[in-house]
Amino acid sequence: MPNFITHQDWLAITPLLIAGSGALIVLLVDLLWPKHAPRYVSLAIGIGVLLAAGAFAATTYGRSYNAFNGGFMLGGFAVVFQEIIVVSAIFSLALFGTFGRDDRMAGITALLLWSTTGAMLMAGAANLMTIFLGLELLSLALYCLCGVADRPASQESALKYLILSSTASGFLLFGMALLFGATGSVTLASLALPGLTANPLYWMGGGFFLVGLAFKLSLMPFHVWSPDVYEGAPLPVTAFMSVVTKAGTLAVFARFAYALPSGEKLLLPFFVVAGISMIGGNLAMLAQTDLKRLLAYSGIAQAGYMVAALAGASALGMRYAIYYLAAYMFMNLGAFAIVALLSGEREEGAQIAAFRGLGRRRPLLAAAMSFFLLALAGFPPTAGFLGKILILAATVNAGYAWLAALLIAGTAISLYAYFKILRLMYDPHDSPAPTARTSAPLAYAGAALCAVFVIIMTFYPLTPSNVLPLVK
Amino acid sequence: MVLLLILLPIAAGALLFALPRGERLWSRVIGCVVAAATFALPLLDPNGGAFSARWLSRPFTASLHFSWSGVSLWLVLLLALCTFCAILATSAVQSRTMVALLLMLEGSMMGVFTARDILAFALFWDLMLIPPFFALIEWAPHRETAWRFLIYNFSGGLTLLLATAAFGILSGSTDVIGTTHQFAGSWAPWIFAGFAFAFAVKTPLWPLHTWMPNTYAELPPPVVAVISAVQSKAGLYGFIVIALPFLRPALVEWRWLLVALALVSLLYGAFVALTQTDTKRIVAYSSLSHLGLIVLAIASANPIAIRGAIVYIVAHGLFSAALFLILGYMEEREETRSVLKLGGLGAVNPKLAGAFTIAALAALGLPGLAGFAGELVILTGVFRAGYFWPALIALVPIVLASGYMLRLLQDVINGPEVAALPRRPDLTLIEALAVAPLLAALLFVGIYPHALLAAAMR
Repeated sequence: MPNFITHQDWLAITPLLIAGSGALIVLLVDLLWPKHAPRYVSLAIGIGVLLAAGAFAATTYGRSYNAFNGGFMLGGFAVVFQEIIVVSAIFSLALFGTFGRDDRMAGITALLLWSTTGAMLMAGAANLMTIFLGLELLSLALYCLCGVADRPASQESALKYLILSSTASGFLLFGMALLFGATGSVTLASLALPGLTANPLYWMGGGFFLVGLAFKLSLMPFHVWSPDVYEGAPLPVTAFMSVVTKAGTLAVFARFAYALPSGEKLLLPFFVVAGISMIGGNLAMLAQTDLKRLLAYSGIAQAGYMVAALAGASALGMRYAIYYLAAYMFMNLGAFAIVALLSGEREEGAQIAAFRGLGRRRPLLAAAMSFFLLALAGFPPTAGFLGKILILAATVNAGYAWLAALLIAGTAISLYAYFKILRLMYDPHDSPAPTARTSAPLAYAGAALCAVFVIIMTFYPLTPSNVLPLVK
Repeated sequence: MVLLLILLPIAAGALLFALPRGERLWSRVIGCVVAAATFALPLLDPNGGAFSARWLSRPFTASLHFSWSGVSLWLVLLLALCTFCAILATSAVQSRTMVALLLMLEGSMMGVFTARDILAFALFWDLMLIPPFFALIEWAPHRETAWRFLIYNFSGGLTLLLATAAFGILSGSTDVIGTTHQFAGSWAPWIFAGFAFAFAVKTPLWPLHTWMPNTYAELPPPVVAVISAVQSKAGLYGFIVIALPFLRPALVEWRWLLVALALVSLLYGAFVALTQTDTKRIVAYSSLSHLGLIVLAIASANPIAIRGAIVYIVAHGLFSAALFLILGYMEEREETRSVLKLGGLGAVNPKLAGAFTIAALAALGLPGLAGFAGELVILTGVFRAGYFWPALIALVPIVLASGYMLRLLQDVINGPEVAALPRRPDLTLIEALAVAPLLAALLFVGIYPHALLAAAMR
């Protein structure tokens, strides 16, 4: 086995290098600027770096290359996940444009870029070491990002996230160690070795590994951290985290699941957990009064849908999980943009009560919010609708009809939660709540773009054809 | 062309929200013009207007395929006519919002009735449930009404979604409406159950009807006219174009249940209508009873009965839209819907009373009006299919219909003038114009049902 690192290897991780070193540039500019770099400078550099990374990653679409002796996979679904991650990061930075502070913006941008780098690494990670490396890079930067606001809740959220997420990382690492013990190799490809299922280390290791992933994906019952952290963290960070941690972890799960021999029983509990998330996440949504918490529980359920698409590890399922993730990104970020537009510096707009009577005060904003909520609920003409149909088709096709039934039941429950907000916005019997009037052109533009993409994706469901994970 | 039919009302409805909230004139003018255009468009080219574009090629083929040929044409015309009349009849303060919602409702239902692909059908099916929900939030006095509507109808939408996905996966294509693609296999009963649940909720069929009386009673008359006249037909249309051709074995297997539920709906609706005192509720329960008859026709799967069902679908659409609009006029004038308080309207407002009488007589199945033609053909078909006893039982509610409709007429139109009621002027020209086309169509179909029967045969 050759151990040389070729220039091909470096090319494979160039997008990551761009994003990672971009963070240093942001910090350097801030340092050399007379006082602090104005936030728009840091933002502009950050977005520029992300665009460059995204563009470079896009050029690798369709190529497949096994970099670093199978440590990092180029091509396949990795590129698609990387693009999703980059778009979410750009969106989050755009939201920070309104709500950030000048003296902290450089640090925030740098952390966000590093976090993005970690997630992009996870998207292509194909051995246990790179998976852990990417995950920790993503998480460590996120711990800090959660605490950047001045509110005590923000610091609390950072600490909670640190403790609980580290526990999850512990599970993951322990699982990895056991898997290494079972296979004698860190590559995922070795999981397909014959006779492995007779080894108890394999079952324990796989179990711990999946528990760690379930934590990170905030699947029920491993979800307790997510509502608290989402609620306390600054809104742009919450928006970022809600998509990017899911994208990164889903990529890892997909690679793991597709590396196993087909019909593997090890994954079954994971799909059961996904089923629990669909029902439980949507049920818990009903009780929420804070919109960020509500979106956290919504995210728990939506993560369940995405995992359900992968049931049976079919090629179709992978396509639709990616499709749904992209759709979820647009509808979820759109909803977060509207919440951001409604909330002031202290984020009082994140209360659901703040939406009362919005239909009369700011009809356009209310219409946009309704659109995103309907999309999350799976109503046409949105990508949420088509995504659900496709996931249902994939699960039925893979022989997991019970997951399809759970998905339908969960959606039925979620309707009430989403429509409660719609009712609140349009009910003529309620007196409207006052709201801060923020002018944030970037957030408006972001919401509008999200809405456009949610509709376009419905009628042009471009699911990438080259998504089969390359692990062998 | 057919895309215009769908997109024009939706776009116009969305644009109307740019008008000021209390606007009353221009929204109605625009609404009427759009509705009239959607009525004229299919008449220009009765057989065509097809549009098709590939939508999905994996995991099953699906197309954005629309056309108004066949049965669809009659439902499209019925929908356009009812929307036109309803918009003309909007006199509520917030006419802008109502017209906008009516137009969006029309556009989404146009999608349901013209879709040639089950996935597109499901898309518009879910879409058409949203405007009534907003109408309920805006105008229904009780909040529970909106929730009840939501929970029942959207559960139906979800089972439809699941059934569509399963159908697509197992048959390879959803672009099948209008073809004779038979679907068989061990999954067929489940898929049929998914479709049938959605259709039965929307129709509604006993015992899934409990959302209906409140919704119909609390919505403003123009909206409920369109919903009861046309949206409730979406379920029946679904039975005819999806369940009947593709899932016939499953339907035949489960027809005993459908027949039983249809008979219960027929009887239950009629008996409850006899006991109600709220005018709109009487008509709402009569709807339950009448639509039960159509489900009976579909369950018999007899070609003659199906033809009768199509005639009766149109007939019921016409008279229930007319009844709800006229009851709305009445409520506006007398400020009550209770038959215990109403009375003697014939002397005060003769034109209103005359219009009401024609619509009510059509509802009870008077020969010469549209209702009779449909009932007769349905019963013939059901007898032919060998369903002697169900057909006989179905006759009972037809007699009961005379009971509750005549009682309604008697209580409201005849009798001495009730002194406590406010005296208001008779129908204005616009109000009369809003119901006149419906009544004229009732007469036309009643005298010459062959126009519809011939179309249904194709």
